Amino acid sequence: MGMWPFGHHDPSKASMGRVLIVDDEENIRKVARLTLTKAGYEVIEGKDGADAIEALNSGENPLLVDVIICDIRMPKINGVEAISYFRSQYPSVPIIVQTGFPDLNLATSLMKQGVSDYLVKPVDNAKLIAAVAKAVEGREMFTT
Amino acid sequence: MGPEQSVNIAILGGGRGGTALIELFTRCHGIAITGIADTNPDAPGLRLARNLNIPATDDPVSLISDQTVDLIVDVTGNPSTPALIEQHKSARVEILGGTAAKLVWSLIQDERDLYEHLAHAEKLSTLGTFAAGIAHEFNNPLHMMLGFAQLIQDTQDPASVQEYIQEIVKLIKHLSNMSTSVNLYARTSTQGELVPVQIPTLLDEAVRMARFSTILDEVTVIPQYEPVPDIQAEPGELLQVFMNLIVNAVQAMNARGQLTLRTAMENGSITVSVEDTGPGIAPQDLARIFAPFFTTKKSGKGTGLGLYIVDTIIRKYGGRIEPRSEVGKGTAFRIHFPVTGLPHETRPSSQPATPATI
Repeated sequence: MGMWPFGHHDPSKASMGRVLIVDDEENIRKVARLTLTKAGYEVIEGKDGADAIEALNSGENPLLVDVIICDIRMPKINGVEAISYFRSQYPSVPIIVQTGFPDLNLATSLMKQGVSDYLVKPVDNAKLIAAVAKAVEGREMFTT
Repeated sequence: MGPEQSVNIAILGGGRGGTALIELFTRCHGIAITGIADTNPDAPGLRLARNLNIPATDDPVSLISDQTVDLIVDVTGNPSTPALIEQHKSARVEILGGTAAKLVWSLIQDERDLYEHLAHAEKLSTLGTFAAGIAHEFNNPLHMMLGFAQLIQDTQDPASVQEYIQEIVKLIKHLSNMSTSVNLYARTSTQGELVPVQIPTLLDEAVRMARFSTILDEVTVIPQYEPVPDIQAEPGELLQVFMNLIVNAVQAMNARGQLTLRTAMENGSITVSVEDTGPGIAPQDLARIFAPFFTTKKSGKGTGLGLYIVDTIIRKYGGRIEPRSEVGKGTAFRIHFPVTGLPHETRPSSQPATPATI
């Protein structure tokens, strides 16, 4: 782990990257976890914005996430609030929105904030893997 | 709605005319129906009256000679009725019959059409605000079903396959229940049939439906259901009433707080109450909330018809609704329904008329 974040493209590493999935629906997290684990990613979960922010900040190293997949409609801290927090605190971590709302205005405004993808549920598993791979690929390398 | 004394009306004729009159008069303030008479004891107007605890008789003379009646409305269409009225009526009573009664009836038909349109428009407007919520509530299960199905394609492990299939089956049932709810809500109910309705079950259904238009995750729903008899009603109409009150309550609380739903028997009537812990309604607004087109919501957000329709539907079932509100504490809407139907329908029901079973 000491080499992180420079080691996650190394095929010899066990994980292709670490993904945080934020969704209030347990089975949506489960599908993402199973799908992405199978594709070689390590997955951590947050059940709402507040939970996700806590998960990020309580880790030994807050940069230990390569991609965040985030729902929009959630209790406590909703997706829009959570994303603006992620963008300000972890500007280098790409965010994929995965939501049940096909909302063009929201999608546009989130893309402007630097969200890398806006996926409308139902999302094909292969599409999710591709979005994650693309996000990891394009991840900006910041050293903090 | 003035303070004048109410007019006591006797209805002669239990056909379509009598039925329409009952529906109209029960909606009106200042009118009391003394009774309805038809020589056919099974006339639809008589059956409706019995459901609403309005005296119904197959002996027109007893009703005509009732001394408390102010106005007799004759919608029998029977040429011998006017003579019968003349013979038995008290001296002070006024009579509305013949062409005048027909004219009133056609005005009532118009009024009823107009009301149906308003009620339907309000429903559609609510459905419009549901659109995003429905997309969310349907896309989530679809997403999980797709995900599990694709995981099945990729797995060799029989135990995992079983697990994913079980999840998919659960999700399909969940989706199917939701579409039933939406159907029940959206259906126009002009010729709706009255069936025994379990109020607590319908309140729970209304909470499920309310998720389409508002977020309930941070609202603590507290059901306090004491046993109450079923009431004879169109389930879709009562669902509209309960949903409307629940969504209003949640919106008033800004989606954070306690929503208490109660059913109880009080002084022989069925009481249903929807209570929130929101900021309350200002006293000057409280008097106007049931008026059509009155709204405190931002322009474009509410039609101002919700509570008007709620009030109208409740009156149709012989009930009344009372708001109680304390600024800073919350609001409670209490509905009182008369106990309806025959005694055998008032047992703890084993024959639910709930949307989920349709």
